[in-house]
Amino acid sequence: MERAGLPAVSICTDAFEVTAQAMAGVYGFPGFEFVTVPHPVASLSAEQIRDRVRDVMPEVVRILGVES
Amino acid sequence: MTAHVDAATTSTEAGELPLVDSGEVLRAIEYYAERGWTDGLPVVPVTESYLAEFLAQTDRDPDEVLLTMPHLNRSCTVRLAAINAALAGCRPEYFPVVVAAWESLRKEGYVPTGIWQSTTGTAPLLIVNGPIREAIGLNSRGNVFGSGFRANATIGRALRLAAINVFGLRPHQLDQATQGTPAKYTACVAENEEDSPWPALHTDYGLAATDSAVTAMVIRSVVHIEARHTTVPEQLALDIAGTIGRTGALIHQTISACVALCPEHAHLFDRAGWSKADLRQFLFDHAVNDHATLAAVGKDALSRRSKWRVPADHPDAVDDDSPAGPEEGTVRSLNSAEAVQVIVAGARNAGVSAVIELLGSRGEPPAVTPVPPAPAR
Repeated sequence: MERAGLPAVSICTDAFEVTAQAMAGVYGFPGFEFVTVPHPVASLSAEQIRDRVRDVMPEVVRILGVES
Repeated sequence: MTAHVDAATTSTEAGELPLVDSGEVLRAIEYYAERGWTDGLPVVPVTESYLAEFLAQTDRDPDEVLLTMPHLNRSCTVRLAAINAALAGCRPEYFPVVVAAWESLRKEGYVPTGIWQSTTGTAPLLIVNGPIREAIGLNSRGNVFGSGFRANATIGRALRLAAINVFGLRPHQLDQATQGTPAKYTACVAENEEDSPWPALHTDYGLAATDSAVTAMVIRSVVHIEARHTTVPEQLALDIAGTIGRTGALIHQTISACVALCPEHAHLFDRAGWSKADLRQFLFDHAVNDHATLAAVGKDALSRRSKWRVPADHPDAVDDDSPAGPEEGTVRSLNSAEAVQVIVAGARNAGVSAVIELLGSRGEPPAVTPVPPAPAR
């Protein structure tokens, strides 16, 4: 999406961090910054998902380069 | 030069053991291991001249692409497939089967989408039919799915080594399998056509019995059915249907399967007048779950988008619109009789069969792929 000019932030759980780094390397973006959240996500309730989102939002905004 | 040691418990006559420079061989094996060009077991060192023997077994251009994973921008060519077949310990004359296996995987369609990287932890299974089985010594009888036969062991391994070396699918990196399966080392069986009462798999899909073929499937578990106790076809078929329908296997709305019947079980059905089609229809009708069973394990509804099974109180849950079973209040585990394949494999010595749980295909025809004869030289 970023190559298409659309600012984007990838979010994955910490269990996929190594794979995410490897995929970033495959795509020619070694060191690509992404956000990790604690694993797992699939078994969380809607409220727990909201908590996860609240927790990572500052990091998402930082990677997007938003200046306060 | 030193003689190899005798690997068997029986004594070998002096002079029979080949002379080798063991230091050179070990250095090559360790070099390949250090580069990570292995599934963990030692691989066979490959030279250009040895590679040429493999490439001579096919009319294909060495640069022809056999399978691409677009999301990785990587492709397996004939040459790369040959290198990995040699590494795996194949003999050159096995290579036409390896090439057909890659073609079959491409046709099957699930591997190019990235299933080999999934947490699901799948493996390819190859089923070989026709005269090539005897020609290269593929086992279809006792200890099928097990060890002991070079062609079975190395043809399956040729795919795994290419997954690792060509596509880079190493565990903990691009291969994210939560748990793998022993089939990831190798999974290649031949159908026991000689001890089957029914036409062979490849002849069900338009090939002649005199043709050879490879059919690739994406599998996870091989679950055995212990049934030496009955001569009643319905009892045996219900035992198999219960395994196909088990809730633990249900990720999605329905599952697909390949039943590998031992000759004794196949003949039990045949003697009772059942054809392969009759068995598939029976399994379609009886691989079912009632709503209470699905609700008890929290798989009684479907996720709106992914269609994965979820509990009815899940925020994304929509009603399970799976096809209803013949009995009130049941849903089918298979979407059609075509979603279960039947082959015959194993020894004629006991009533032990297996359900191979498949991912990918949901009733589409299997990817039966002819093996061309090696080119005349």
